[in-house]
Amino acid sequence: MASGNMKDIKRRIKSVSSTRQITKAMELVASSKLRKAKQRSENGRPYFEAQYELLAKIASVKKDFNTVFTEPREVRSRLFIVIMGDRGLAGGFNSNIIKAVTAEHANDPEKPKIIAVGRKAVDYFDKHGYELVGKYPYFAEKAKTADCMDIAQVAGDLFAVGEVDEVLLFYTAFVSPLVQTPEHCKLLPINNIGTGTGDDLGLINYDPSPEAVFDRVVPKFLMSMISCAAVESFASEQGARRTAMESATDNADEMISNLSLLYNRARQEKITNEITEIVSGANALN
Amino acid sequence: MTPFKLQIITPDGVFFDGMTENVIVRTTVGDKGILAHHEPYVAAITISKFKVKIDGEFRYGAISSGVIEVGKDKTVILAQSCEWADEIDVDRAVRAKEIAEERIGHYEKTNDRKNLDIAEFKLKRALNRIDAAKIGK
Repeated sequence: MASGNMKDIKRRIKSVSSTRQITKAMELVASSKLRKAKQRSENGRPYFEAQYELLAKIASVKKDFNTVFTEPREVRSRLFIVIMGDRGLAGGFNSNIIKAVTAEHANDPEKPKIIAVGRKAVDYFDKHGYELVGKYPYFAEKAKTADCMDIAQVAGDLFAVGEVDEVLLFYTAFVSPLVQTPEHCKLLPINNIGTGTGDDLGLINYDPSPEAVFDRVVPKFLMSMISCAAVESFASEQGARRTAMESATDNADEMISNLSLLYNRARQEKITNEITEIVSGANALN
Repeated sequence: MTPFKLQIITPDGVFFDGMTENVIVRTTVGDKGILAHHEPYVAAITISKFKVKIDGEFRYGAISSGVIEVGKDKTVILAQSCEWADEIDVDRAVRAKEIAEERIGHYEKTNDRKNLDIAEFKLKRALNRIDAAKIGK
């Protein structure tokens, strides 16, 4: 009886410790990817900020400045660009974004159109009957410029022809390695951007015209918004995974130590049993 | 010549941040040279070569689409990508050119407009890089 029990415990210890090895490895991989992703997001920041400044400057040149991208209109249908991960095992990373998306369109009469970025996003929104206008699985780790441009193009075109009246971007903001929060921001129409009075800015010479430059900058701006969000989401995913795997490893450690205790107790019991048997056997002989 | 401050920023980071005497870029409406005390000016840049004068000598580079903004105290170029001519990986550019040409060749069979656009864009960029590398030597 006791020896069978011991075998069972031994088998469980073995299986838990091999699981622990995997979670530990995943934790290490995630933390090295996290470092790289953080670096990348820091490198991209000056470009993004300079671009935003420029757009704001152009938009404030004239008070009556209006292009198709800035004109507010009645919102009938919306487009969500949702950035998620390619893999699971990252705690609540993917489900938090889904929650944010469903909460956002809960009061809309119809479901929004979706551009799904990341394999998990493609899977989920496909299965739940959303209209997918773009699928970009395996995207975030590289966040290739061509793909970001593609998304910006699709979103910009849909908006320009009036197919959608608003474009929202869902991503996970990287607050710290331990804290990541799902966020969303409005990509189109661009408003709240022209805060300047347009007094001294009218002196800038735009070639050929402010509108032409603005319309050229907008797709690039969308693109870099998307790529920034993708890089940040990727960093968040790695952060979430690292935390999840760290606690999994800790749990495995705890389980192993509990099981070892059980194992040793069973072993001790067996030995005690044997001794008692021998002693009582010897006693019976006397 | 009076030097002025120039910054070239790409999504990969700040590419150049320093003083220059003259910048020449190709905008959508033609070549444009910027000297110190230029009037405030903004224009879009096409895929092209550019040159920057540093300490009396021109340095050449390749740029792929962006915006130039001349301000009072500094000039900023926002570029999607940017390299100095002498740092261009010519082998890579040649490979990119071949792949792009092959893709464009496929267009007749597939009729995939989107891929054609991307391939054309990549071909332009590769040719621009190869060209710039030649000038840089």
